[in-house]
Amino acid sequence: MAEERALSVSEAMNGAKRALESVRVRVVGEVSEFNDKPGYKAAYFTVCDEGASMPCMMWRDAYIASGVELRCGMLVEMSGFFSAYVPKGRMQFMARSVSLAGEGMLRMQVADLARKLEAEGLMAASRKRALPEFPTRIALVTSPRGKAVHDVIRTLKRRYPMAELLIAGVAVEGADAPRAIVEGLRVAAEAGPDLILLVRGGGSYEDLMPFNHESVARQVAASSVPVITGIGHEPDDSIADMVADFRASTPTAAAEAAAPAIEEIRGRLTSSQRLLARALLHRVQHAVHRVRLLVDRPVFTDPNILLAQAWQALDVAGVSLQRAIPSRLERDAQRLEYTLDRLVRLGPSIPKRAGDRVAMGAARLNDLSPLAILGRGYAVAFGADGSTVLRNPADVSIGDSINVRVQGGTINGVVQSTRGVEDR
Amino acid sequence: MSDHEMTPPEQLAFGEALAELETIVTALESGQLELEDSMSRYERGVALLRALQGKLSDAQQRVTMLLGELEAEEPAAE
Repeated sequence: MAEERALSVSEAMNGAKRALESVRVRVVGEVSEFNDKPGYKAAYFTVCDEGASMPCMMWRDAYIASGVELRCGMLVEMSGFFSAYVPKGRMQFMARSVSLAGEGMLRMQVADLARKLEAEGLMAASRKRALPEFPTRIALVTSPRGKAVHDVIRTLKRRYPMAELLIAGVAVEGADAPRAIVEGLRVAAEAGPDLILLVRGGGSYEDLMPFNHESVARQVAASSVPVITGIGHEPDDSIADMVADFRASTPTAAAEAAAPAIEEIRGRLTSSQRLLARALLHRVQHAVHRVRLLVDRPVFTDPNILLAQAWQALDVAGVSLQRAIPSRLERDAQRLEYTLDRLVRLGPSIPKRAGDRVAMGAARLNDLSPLAILGRGYAVAFGADGSTVLRNPADVSIGDSINVRVQGGTINGVVQSTRGVEDR
Repeated sequence: MSDHEMTPPEQLAFGEALAELETIVTALESGQLELEDSMSRYERGVALLRALQGKLSDAQQRVTMLLGELEAEEPAAE
């Protein structure tokens, strides 16, 4: 073997290239550099793991056909072979195909399912039901272990202890989790709650995958009872969240969304109590005020006068009638009959007529009342006692209170000075 | 509201009782009611308030397991 001749550099590199290209492999790694200039025939990128990195290239047509948009940090799986770029003596991996691996793949699958369910209308805002304001039974579907279940129990106990809490404890991780969650949702709905909470504490994207499962999403969407989700932490967004009636960011936030805080309700009750009392007081004061106004009207000061006047009018009418009958008796018998007839008809209506007269009398009395004079713009001044009419400046002293009655009410004043008629 | 008018406040669901109470407050505030009606609604309102406040102060959380067994929280988790 020692006689074997030395190779030229080109021969050596081409030999290496052939040797490399005979091995086909599948490689998983994280994209660390990516260069895809539109003019290039190929996409150039680097894939690495903790201990090594590997320059890669992929023909543009194959890259576009893969449907993957490479970005730094993506976990990808490639198939292809190693090769060498002979002019520069560089080794590189020729990727024939590339796809997302691990979480990247999961995310793509989830995005596909999300698009499918969205196209079916399961995420439409119009499907989202209003949550009950004061639930009496709240069902909770979650793991019976860990922090999330206790976060919900504690939050509801503190904020809204009035509701009965029904817990369906199910596995939320592992291959069986989707089936267990679907069963939990079904059992929870059967218990007849006003509301279902579907929650899970934080975890990796993969840990949350059961909540991206199509069967779970469909069960949530089809639930006969409104569902609130609180899955993972703030940025996590599962498909169950998207189809739920209300999406809270964490288990605690889901419990808070389930019902108002008891202090808030107490506040509403206190305010109702105050408004109730105030409204009734106003109503009673209004009624008292109206009665006062009526009592002050002259009609009520001496109703006997009015009645006497009405009865007197009746008496006068009766006397005239008696006088009329004999004088006309001889001259006009027909007239008598007519008059009698009128009298008969008048009989039952006398009380009504009397009433009319009372009303008329009241109107007349009102015309005569001092109040009617006030209506024409005059005023009456009363002393501090409210009943003595002031007729002379000497009736008051400087500093006395006086009440001036005008049509619209009373003006209270204090005497500043007085001046008699002869002082002019 | 007229549906519940004869229902004893204790038998109403919390939300129903609160809704009726707030309807009564609104009606009373309108000032359009007869005095007698105002009085009887006020009485009804007070009864509703009393029942609601009673429900709040008596509230004690009840927890029922439908599936699985609740595991005590790990002390460190707090």
